[in-house]
Amino acid sequence: MKQQIKLTPKQEHVAEHNAQAHAAKEFSNSDELLRFDAAQTIVPPEIAVRLQKSAGQIPPPPARSWWKNLFGG
Amino acid sequence: MNELVAGQENPAAMPAGWSAPEFGSLYDEHSRAIYFLALRFLGDPQKAEDATHDVFLKAFRRLDQFRGEASIRTWLYRIAINHCQNLCQSWHNRHIHANSEDAVWETSPAKTDSPLRVLETKELGQHIQQTLDALSDEYRLLLLLVADEELSYDEIAALVGQTADAVRGKLHRARKAFAAHFEKTV
Repeated sequence: MKQQIKLTPKQEHVAEHNAQAHAAKEFSNSDELLRFDAAQTIVPPEIAVRLQKSAGQIPPPPARSWWKNLFGG
Repeated sequence: MNELVAGQENPAAMPAGWSAPEFGSLYDEHSRAIYFLALRFLGDPQKAEDATHDVFLKAFRRLDQFRGEASIRTWLYRIAINHCQNLCQSWHNRHIHANSEDAVWETSPAKTDSPLRVLETKELGQHIQQTLDALSDEYRLLLLLVADEELSYDEIAALVGQTADAVRGKLHRARKAFAAHFEKTV
């Protein structure tokens, strides 16, 4: 009877990562390859932080002057 | 991003038409596509980060100009493409030799229908970048856009200002050039 080796979650994660990194892959065309690449791409979290700061600095739209409210335009 | 923006101290500073959660969801949904395009088109993670920030900031400022004729993703791509192309034009790098090389790769006996094999996915990103860098801006852009399954040929054609048939023809050549270059990098 085969004895199963139990891995800790961390060991499992490392083993999975290694298997992925060293596995031979075959892609049927460049579209598939680029889709795989896109799926692996991680957006740096710094962008969201910078964006939040930049968006906060945008001034609100100027208020309409009273005569435009009155007469339109 | 949703939480980040939703927690903003001054929500009144949002341009007309935008609400913080709306912008957060838009960023969450499309940031990977825009960042990936910028990363692989510009070939530099730092420039891609700056470009993604600038694209979403432009979108943030101009949402009132979005007429809803195209999908929001196509609209974001349009801003991103203009932005990246402007950056490339100002750098004046890569263009000259890349365009002249395409013809050589197109006529080489590369197979668009044969599989692309890689032994390790660890350095796959580098191989892909080297391959894309060797192509013209036009081919690179077409390949990156067609890799997004959410875009139709008509939408890609509208984004690059060509007919869908022209896009199909160019894509065939672009895939061929990609396959030939890719084989050299792995």
